[in-house]
Amino acid sequence: MRDYLYDGTFEGLLTCIYHHYYTDKAAGIYPRGEYQPSLLHGSMEVETDEEKADRVYNAIGNKISGYSLRLIYRAFLSGITGKENVILNYVLFGFRVGPQVGSLHTHPEVQALEDIVRKVGNERERMLQFVRFEVMEAAGGGPQILYAKIEPEHDVIALVAHHFAERFSHDPLIIHDIGRSKAIVAYEHDWYVTDFDGTHLPDGTAMMMSENEISYQSLWRTYFDHIAIKERTNPRCQKNHMPVRYWKHLTEVNGPVISA
Amino acid sequence: MFCKRYNIAMEEILMQKLQILADSAKYDVSCSSSGSSRAANGRMGNGHMAGICHSWGADGRCISLLKVLFTNKCVYNCEYCVNRRANDFPRASFEPDELARLTVEFYRRNYIEGLFLSSAVEVSPDHTAERILQCLELLRYKYGFAGYIHAKIIPGVSPEILHRIGLVADRLSVNIEMPSRESLAAFAPQKKIEQIVAPMRQITNTLIETKSLKGPGTMFKGQNLNDAGNYLGPMGLDAGSGGDDSIVSALSLAKGGRGKNSFASAGQTTQMIIGAGGETDASILATSENLYRTFKMKRVYYSAYIPVVDSPILPDKTTAPPLKREHRIYQADWLLRFYGFTVSELFRSGGENLDPDLDPKVTWALRNLDEFPMEVNTASYEQLMRIPGIGHISAMRILRQRRFAAVHFDDLKKMGVVIKRAKYFVLCCGRYFGDRSFEQETIRNSLLQMESGLQMSMFDNDWKRLEEGARQEKLAAAGVI
Repeated sequence: MRDYLYDGTFEGLLTCIYHHYYTDKAAGIYPRGEYQPSLLHGSMEVETDEEKADRVYNAIGNKISGYSLRLIYRAFLSGITGKENVILNYVLFGFRVGPQVGSLHTHPEVQALEDIVRKVGNERERMLQFVRFEVMEAAGGGPQILYAKIEPEHDVIALVAHHFAERFSHDPLIIHDIGRSKAIVAYEHDWYVTDFDGTHLPDGTAMMMSENEISYQSLWRTYFDHIAIKERTNPRCQKNHMPVRYWKHLTEVNGPVISA
Repeated sequence: MFCKRYNIAMEEILMQKLQILADSAKYDVSCSSSGSSRAANGRMGNGHMAGICHSWGADGRCISLLKVLFTNKCVYNCEYCVNRRANDFPRASFEPDELARLTVEFYRRNYIEGLFLSSAVEVSPDHTAERILQCLELLRYKYGFAGYIHAKIIPGVSPEILHRIGLVADRLSVNIEMPSRESLAAFAPQKKIEQIVAPMRQITNTLIETKSLKGPGTMFKGQNLNDAGNYLGPMGLDAGSGGDDSIVSALSLAKGGRGKNSFASAGQTTQMIIGAGGETDASILATSENLYRTFKMKRVYYSAYIPVVDSPILPDKTTAPPLKREHRIYQADWLLRFYGFTVSELFRSGGENLDPDLDPKVTWALRNLDEFPMEVNTASYEQLMRIPGIGHISAMRILRQRRFAAVHFDDLKKMGVVIKRAKYFVLCCGRYFGDRSFEQETIRNSLLQMESGLQMSMFDNDWKRLEEGARQEKLAAAGVI
């Protein structure tokens, strides 16, 4: 038994699971940077191997189910410490019982994974609600670009890409996960994930706010302030639905105020 | 230079209009953006079947749509309305293109799901409706907007304009305003009930014609509502008449009915004000039931009356809005639409009003104890839905599990049943788990103790939420802790 340390990628995690079966039983799987050496057993750095990862990936799809594979990927996207071990336990259990693992909701290994998956799904929903775009322009002219900053707890950026790529298919758009320094770039129904620093477009041109952006932001903030009914003020209800940790990037809370 | 200054002036005017027309629209209730799934067939946007709330205002109400009045300049003088003619108050109107552009600009920044457009009556119903139609058509055709549109229909509008608004809107609503004919006559003397009912009937008939009438909740589950026999005649339900609204057949829809040219695919709703007139809860809910059964509306919305104007015949300005009553009525409304209850059942034995202290399903169960305790292993789906603490999801889970194994009391909690309410009303494999004797008074008292611990702890006498310190004090004073 030993602890496996991986590079933080999904393929890396799958490679560790491969080694669990073909090298040595895994005591636990941890991302390299966050590992605290254990007294009980040694550790081993696992080099990500596409071929080994593919084998595990296909085995999960074929021997457990495509549904379970999707759950596993969603759980992997979470920012929760220890998710790797929850996934490992679920996969081991899944290989034992087969496709029916999907309906054993009360089994502890399954429950633990589904808890994480639910949290990721909830945050995805929150992103559909709370992403706020700013309309930008590239320095050299060209079409307007929708740009949004987000700081989700879980890495849900790829899960919302399809929604926004469809909805705003005629505008190029960038959703920037500040904490993870990456972004999705979408245009005309297509999208991809890329590293991103927030001031320059992927091709190197600088971005700046479009001419009317400040006005529309302040119009929205004004609307937000005026639509609430004073006699029904209920901040607790408001915060229940819209947790304060998302307020940082909400135009209606932090946008510019221009008084009429 | 001139151009820049001109722009700033325009912006300020738009800002003022938005403030005035949002203030005037905020008492409108519905903000739902669900029920209409639209592919991205325009140049911008689509519909999301479940709806998306984008924000929550300081009053805790969700903001899904840009909810504004087209104008608040009104020729009517309804007693309860903030926009009544006699009210000295800033007035404004949007220009059709101005509002369409604002909607699009808000939408592409992901602030909103779409537009909820209502209006006061400027000049005449048709004049106002034409301006609204112009705005919505610009939005759909000039800007290629495929997001959600909820349009309020003004009583007295001509059938042709109503029809064209329906072709560009996802949802239509005509406000019934008051729960009874008498209140309407007293508070909105210029609005006639016939003028309100006529557009409602036309909408329902057109939905039948386009085979898209779905009805509220699960009330008409398994029934075909889109049968010619369901057409509404002038007196309400009048089977086989084909409708006196010749307009329905005269304005035939672009073929198919679905897709781009569908008519109000998210159906019809309405809203009424609670606590302005002297209606009882029973008569309010009877009106709703009637609206659901006759017009097959998706929803009836209720709004607790907030005194906005001084009036000799209305509650005075210091009266707190009856939020608790509104809450209980909404709960009962759900029982009508999803739980198979009828209004006459809810009020069968005793009282014209709902019990403010207990939810309507518990109240009903306590008054009908002879139907309980119910064995969860043999009860039908319909019966399970009538047990307090059990809803659709837990009822389905009970049905699923008992095909394989008996459902025990410990399983109920895992299935999402609210045990603290359900335990007084269920048997699991013949055993009863309520902690006291099976009598109306004792069960009621234990439920009340539990509820009051909760409610007293969270709200003051005016149903305002308490801060933590005040909450502890109040609980201590009442001897709960």
